[in-house]
Amino acid sequence: MASFEQHIHDKPTTFISKYIFSFDHKVIGKQYLWYGIFFLLVGGLMALLIRWTLAFPGHAMPIVGHLLFPATNGVVPPDSYAMLFTMHGTIMIFFAITPILIGAFGNFCIPLMIGARDMVFPSLNMMSFWVAVVSGLLLLAGLITPLGAAAGGWTSYPTLSTLLGSPGVGQTLWTMSIFVLGISSLMGAVNYITTIIVLRAPGMGYFDMPLTIWGVWMTSILNAIFIPVLGAGCLLLIFDRVFGTTFFLAGATATQGGGDPLLFQHVFWIFGHPEVYILILPGWGIVSDLLSFFARKPAFGAKATAMCMVSITVLSTVVYGHHMFTTQMSPLLTQTFMTLTMTISIPSAIFFVNWLGTLWKGSIRFTSPMLFSIGVIFVFGLGGLTGLYLATVTTDLYLHDTYFVVGHFHYTMAASVLLAGFAGIYFWMPKMFGVLMNEFWGKVHFWLSFLGLNGVFMGMMLAGYGGMHRRLYDPFVYEFLQKLIPVNTFITYSSLLMGGAQVIFVINFIYSIVKNKKVEDNPWEVGTLEWTIPSPAPHYNFKEIPVVKCGPHELGNPALKDRDFQYQTEELVRG
Amino acid sequence: MVRTLFYNSVFFLFTFPAFAAAKKDLSFWEMIAPPEDISENGHLITWLFNYVTGANVFFMTLVILGIVVFSYLYSAKRHKKAYYTYGDKKAHILFVAACCLAVFLGVDMNITRISNEDYTKVFNKPPDPTKEDVVRIEVLAQQWMWKFRYPGEDNVFNTADDVVTLNDLRVPINKKVYFQITSKDVIHAFYIPNIKRKIDALPGKITWMWTKFMKAGNWEIACAEMCGTHHYKMQAFLTTYTQDDFDKWYKNAQKYAELENNPEDPTVFWGWKWY
Ligand SMILES: [Cu+2]
Ligand SMILES: [Cu+2]
Repeated sequence: MASFEQHIHDKPTTFISKYIFSFDHKVIGKQYLWYGIFFLLVGGLMALLIRWTLAFPGHAMPIVGHLLFPATNGVVPPDSYAMLFTMHGTIMIFFAITPILIGAFGNFCIPLMIGARDMVFPSLNMMSFWVAVVSGLLLLAGLITPLGAAAGGWTSYPTLSTLLGSPGVGQTLWTMSIFVLGISSLMGAVNYITTIIVLRAPGMGYFDMPLTIWGVWMTSILNAIFIPVLGAGCLLLIFDRVFGTTFFLAGATATQGGGDPLLFQHVFWIFGHPEVYILILPGWGIVSDLLSFFARKPAFGAKATAMCMVSITVLSTVVYGHHMFTTQMSPLLTQTFMTLTMTISIPSAIFFVNWLGTLWKGSIRFTSPMLFSIGVIFVFGLGGLTGLYLATVTTDLYLHDTYFVVGHFHYTMAASVLLAGFAGIYFWMPKMFGVLMNEFWGKVHFWLSFLGLNGVFMGMMLAGYGGMHRRLYDPFVYEFLQKLIPVNTFITYSSLLMGGAQVIFVINFIYSIVKNKKVEDNPWEVGTLEWTIPSPAPHYNFKEIPVVKCGPHELGNPALKDRDFQYQTEELVRG
Repeated sequence: MVRTLFYNSVFFLFTFPAFAAAKKDLSFWEMIAPPEDISENGHLITWLFNYVTGANVFFMTLVILGIVVFSYLYSAKRHKKAYYTYGDKKAHILFVAACCLAVFLGVDMNITRISNEDYTKVFNKPPDPTKEDVVRIEVLAQQWMWKFRYPGEDNVFNTADDVVTLNDLRVPINKKVYFQITSKDVIHAFYIPNIKRKIDALPGKITWMWTKFMKAGNWEIACAEMCGTHHYKMQAFLTTYTQDDFDKWYKNAQKYAELENNPEDPTVFWGWKWY
């Protein structure tokens, strides 16, 4: 289906052309991976500081606290606390999850899984990464400005995020950083969409693509449509801050202006709700594939799963109002957004039945990628179901802006996405670096993370149910929240456990790469195109462009003789 | 530096258990229980919450059972040969469709219908001050305090006889209380945990909320929307009185208002004509 010849380029020889300004999608994917893991650690450390403050108000966090806040004897001061949760949210969403799930897996997997030699626009690809680096630097630069980084929450609602509420240059840098990151994401999205459409190997129809590719594809479409919306909002905010316009300032006493702060919320959530799916769709794809690979049978209802991804992509664009119920929109809109949001549970229900259907009567191999994938079913189940309370307007009146919301979206956006991301890293490690990670420590990493994150996010939901609202430096100035101190302590212990578990991952990851013990080309015995070539993948990927003759999940076919799977390049064996 | 670090860490190790032991006398369920509901209609929210919880527990149990039972029965050790199916047989498709319908019609549309009914017929249906006896209060949020304005003797807002309080809301029980809310600077949210409700306070816009308190006592009001560094301190106190006690307080406050409100000072008139 390739509409033009894909040449084999010479191997880059200099260090710079090979590792820094590389055109190779595999190198760019790895660059995104390192970038994402770096920010994941920064954002995670911020989360621990936040948790520490909530569990032990007024007490210094050992070592880290003393290094970062010597002026207050190691205790996080209130203004730094606001910066911490703002930066934590921003970093995790835009600088950790996005680069890992979309940047790293998108780049690495698309050409390999559709049988192409590279992305269709390699230089755009390289630019996309380096623009993301600029954006990351802009964000971090905020930390060293006199008034510190942005501190208005990751949603940065005006008028708090205008000069009225955040006079520091940090907020401007934050807004610019998000705008620049949008450009990077947009370049990536255009590249992904085009590559998937024009560079699929001959014989590969859309339903012959692995579900991972479906996920990344839908994500890229949402990115291409909605990132510009966020960009527009950011641009207007920059105008308000730098050039004195009043798009988001309304005419009350202290906020002269003919604009409307709610306008930003509309713009933000038109992007913001699809963003949830932008983050989770690649994860869904990866999980749907891996469940089939390790249950050794075809993905149950794979076409339905793909079509559900499409319908969720469409639906996600028309439900954003559920984030704004407490702004008292018209009841007609409330009802519409509530009903539309509920319809998302139809495709979601199909996902779950299909995932469990894939496990049903399988021959399950509990490898570490498989454990992480099964973990996703559990945490996304909890995350999805608890969304019902928030889509329902009357229960949202109570739960909105409480820790219940925090717990809910961490289950969907943090827990599910992280577990899916780890599943992907463990699974494609041979293809990326030519090595396998240690299985035993991989499983320990899974169980500790799984315990930790459930403790954290379940605890958050309980605290929110108990009435504890968000973004409080010290919740216990309120008498009615004082009984929640033990719950908060428990959350913090769980977060320490979860954080500690990631140390195991980092050591395992680095150690396997350094030790460099070669694995065979197809250690997982899977038939998708990336496993037909050597591990790690050579710089030109495929010597011959493969011809696809069957689907990606041909496992467990009883007509097969000497192995239980077949490659996508083989004619489907019939009994 | 190293020494303070050391001492702090040691101090911390010893205070650690103290935190963990705090409030041990409460049971787990008492600990996470929501604030006591003192409103006439809060039970509607509680009921719907519990209904959704029931449905969620049911579906989550199915998911967990699916994971656990299939993992046990179909592990490679126990189940050598996988069943080769794409899940596209008629029975499979019917099963998937039945699950979807059960979730969507059985639960989602039910919740949506009930919630919408509660919202349009109760929570979002403003009382009519011309027809019934309601207490009207204007709320002004600003960094980082709450101001409350009562209409005073003439029953007209933004006049010199208005009773104005700071972080101190007093209302009678068994009577509808009708708030109009706005913000002076950034977005805040007027959150009364004990009635299970909150509503944004938006600069340049007036939002409203009504409720009927049913129990006398002392409670708390919070700001639920991030509004800057001291968001966490934006706390007000709520006193619910019996009608007699309220009248006593109001009469007294009225006297002070007339004495203290200086009609020459324009900052006194931050209120607005009731909408
Ligand atoms: Cu949403
Ligand atoms: Cu606030």
